[in-house]
Amino acid sequence: MIRKNLVSLTMIVALIFGGGLLGCDQLGGDSQLIITATHVHKAPTSLDDPVWQKAPAVLVPVKGREILGGEEETVFTKAVYNDDSLYFLFKWVDPTRSVTKQSWQFDGKQWVHLKGNEDRIALLFETTRINKFATKGCAVTCHSPPDVDREQWKLATQTAAEKGDLWHWKAARSAPYNYADDAWLTVAGRPSGSYRETGRVKDRGAGGDIKNQAKDKSRPLYMQNPAKEPLAPGFLLAEEAVRITDYSIFKPGDVIPFRLPKKPSGSRFDVRALSIYADGGWTVMLRRKLDTGHDDDVVFNPRKRYSFAMAVFDDSGADHSKATKPLILVFRR
Amino acid sequence: MDRTGNSSETLLERLGLNSVATRLREFEVPSDGLTWTRFFGSMLLVLVVLLFLSGAFLAFYYSPAPGVAYDSVDYAQFNIPFGDVVRGIHYYAWNLLLIVMGFHLVRAFLVGGYKPPREFVWVSGVLVLLVVPAFIITGDLLPWDQKGYWSTQVRNSIMASVPVVGDLLVRMLQGGPRTGIVALTRFYVLHTIILPGLLIFLIGAHLHVLSHRGLSSPLAGENTPRKRVPFLPNMINRWLVLFIVVTVVLGLIAWYWPAPLGDPADPTDSTYVPKPEWWVLALNQLVAIFKGPLTVIATAIIPGGLVGLIMALPFIDRSPERHPTRRKKAMLIAAVIALVLLGLSVMGYVEHYLTPLE
Repeated sequence: MIRKNLVSLTMIVALIFGGGLLGCDQLGGDSQLIITATHVHKAPTSLDDPVWQKAPAVLVPVKGREILGGEEETVFTKAVYNDDSLYFLFKWVDPTRSVTKQSWQFDGKQWVHLKGNEDRIALLFETTRINKFATKGCAVTCHSPPDVDREQWKLATQTAAEKGDLWHWKAARSAPYNYADDAWLTVAGRPSGSYRETGRVKDRGAGGDIKNQAKDKSRPLYMQNPAKEPLAPGFLLAEEAVRITDYSIFKPGDVIPFRLPKKPSGSRFDVRALSIYADGGWTVMLRRKLDTGHDDDVVFNPRKRYSFAMAVFDDSGADHSKATKPLILVFRR
Repeated sequence: MDRTGNSSETLLERLGLNSVATRLREFEVPSDGLTWTRFFGSMLLVLVVLLFLSGAFLAFYYSPAPGVAYDSVDYAQFNIPFGDVVRGIHYYAWNLLLIVMGFHLVRAFLVGGYKPPREFVWVSGVLVLLVVPAFIITGDLLPWDQKGYWSTQVRNSIMASVPVVGDLLVRMLQGGPRTGIVALTRFYVLHTIILPGLLIFLIGAHLHVLSHRGLSSPLAGENTPRKRVPFLPNMINRWLVLFIVVTVVLGLIAWYWPAPLGDPADPTDSTYVPKPEWWVLALNQLVAIFKGPLTVIATAIIPGGLVGLIMALPFIDRSPERHPTRRKKAMLIAAVIALVLLGLSVMGYVEHYLTPLE
């Protein structure tokens, strides 16, 4: 009798289970690329950490627009997460390591800006729902509003209720401090003014960079403090800079960075980064807490899926980039 | 009541419900009404109660307007404690309801449960069966996500192809030419007020006829007297056990496989191709086979004919014989219909789920 009851109970449970699961994956129709963050117990600590092997790789297509129209590439993308943080690993081909960012060079007579800018990668997540972002991606934020001239387009959302979380890794300005500049996106400032301001707002805290130039913009103002060992060789950090008092010490060909990264802190320092340029390409790892506790950041709930988009910039100081279509981030245990 | 205000009356007596309780205790049902081997009907009742309860929870947070509907569902699912479990139970219970309903129908057919004197037990049961898809169709649009929105477009176009009434029906349902705020409000009212009312009425009618005509007896030993048990507490206790089992298992499913909530609906994104759910694969395949002027065959004639045939079964097959081996003709016809539906579903599954999009 007991055995009969047990068998019957098992069959009922199996029926409920089977029947219920028929409803699984009924979403269908998704044409977006899905990036799956795999749950790991041990967090990756380096770019080549064996933990990364547990995550499936996705080759995310990025396509150029405007002056880069038609150019296509792929960004090798992986994601893992643990109970505390989310980690991304990106690799993309870039024939040149661009970190010049208009550095100053002394030609023997005067200081001139070197040609060349910096490489970057940017990610945009929805903090609150951005209308049509899930289906149109960055186009609804970069190309806005559509009824004004292209020159006036600013990275912004259409309404104040729509907010995005913007992570911006910059090879010359944030990489020296191993982070990606954390900002958020809202409606453009002065929307009815003659010139709209960007809707990009820096997260609370310090960071970014200062321009290294004299008032008349003819020469640099700061140089590396000779008494300090550079924390990031090749870059001039604001905290290690000292005012130039004697310009006669410079020889022709000497280079001084134009942009001085400032020490990051607060919410602006939420997205940590490791990066390396090798074998003709960049490898960048980003890490951020699932919930930073800051209201200017998206909160990642591993039970949800998130729309996001990304763009890579090659030696660019403007918004000329190669961007993805909208992507989906899901978490898998 | 004595002078101090104390009363020897029970609470039921004070509420005037004593006679009701006595009637329920005295009301007896066959012991095999809910057993390990006969539980589909009871399970349907349990699932309906579970759907009503979980639906009521979701309704507390839901806003039926396109701009906020998605966010309100997202909030209920991901910001309210156990919101994802409750929504998951609501989501998975519908699938289970359809399956159990199918089993209930097949069992009733196999044991000749539609034979006299239970013709109207069968007819009322089929009517209940017809209301359930309406629940799913109206509920699908409510989260205002891509799947719900574009599935509704497909369903509306199928509905519109029904001659004479199709267009009118779609316009009445949508409240205009497009699926917008009026459509969402109408779907919400249908899903939470009108259809539940209709379902309660039909289930009540089904149970009324059932209690009047009695449960069908087992095929073996049709004339053997059956053990009877009091409805209260025996049957109620069994229902409670079943309710707990179903809730826990569906809760676990919802916990490990959260109910999907896709991207917010974007009516301008016509690239989204909704995949038909498993229970409409056969119908969808029919629509794919009968195209152009023949669409009406797939959308009205065949489904309508099938529903009519099932509904009229007690009045077509009038032989008193209940044993399936002695009803070969009916069994053969049913098997052919079932095989055709299964074949169409498999074809639909291959086309929509296994064939990559071009």
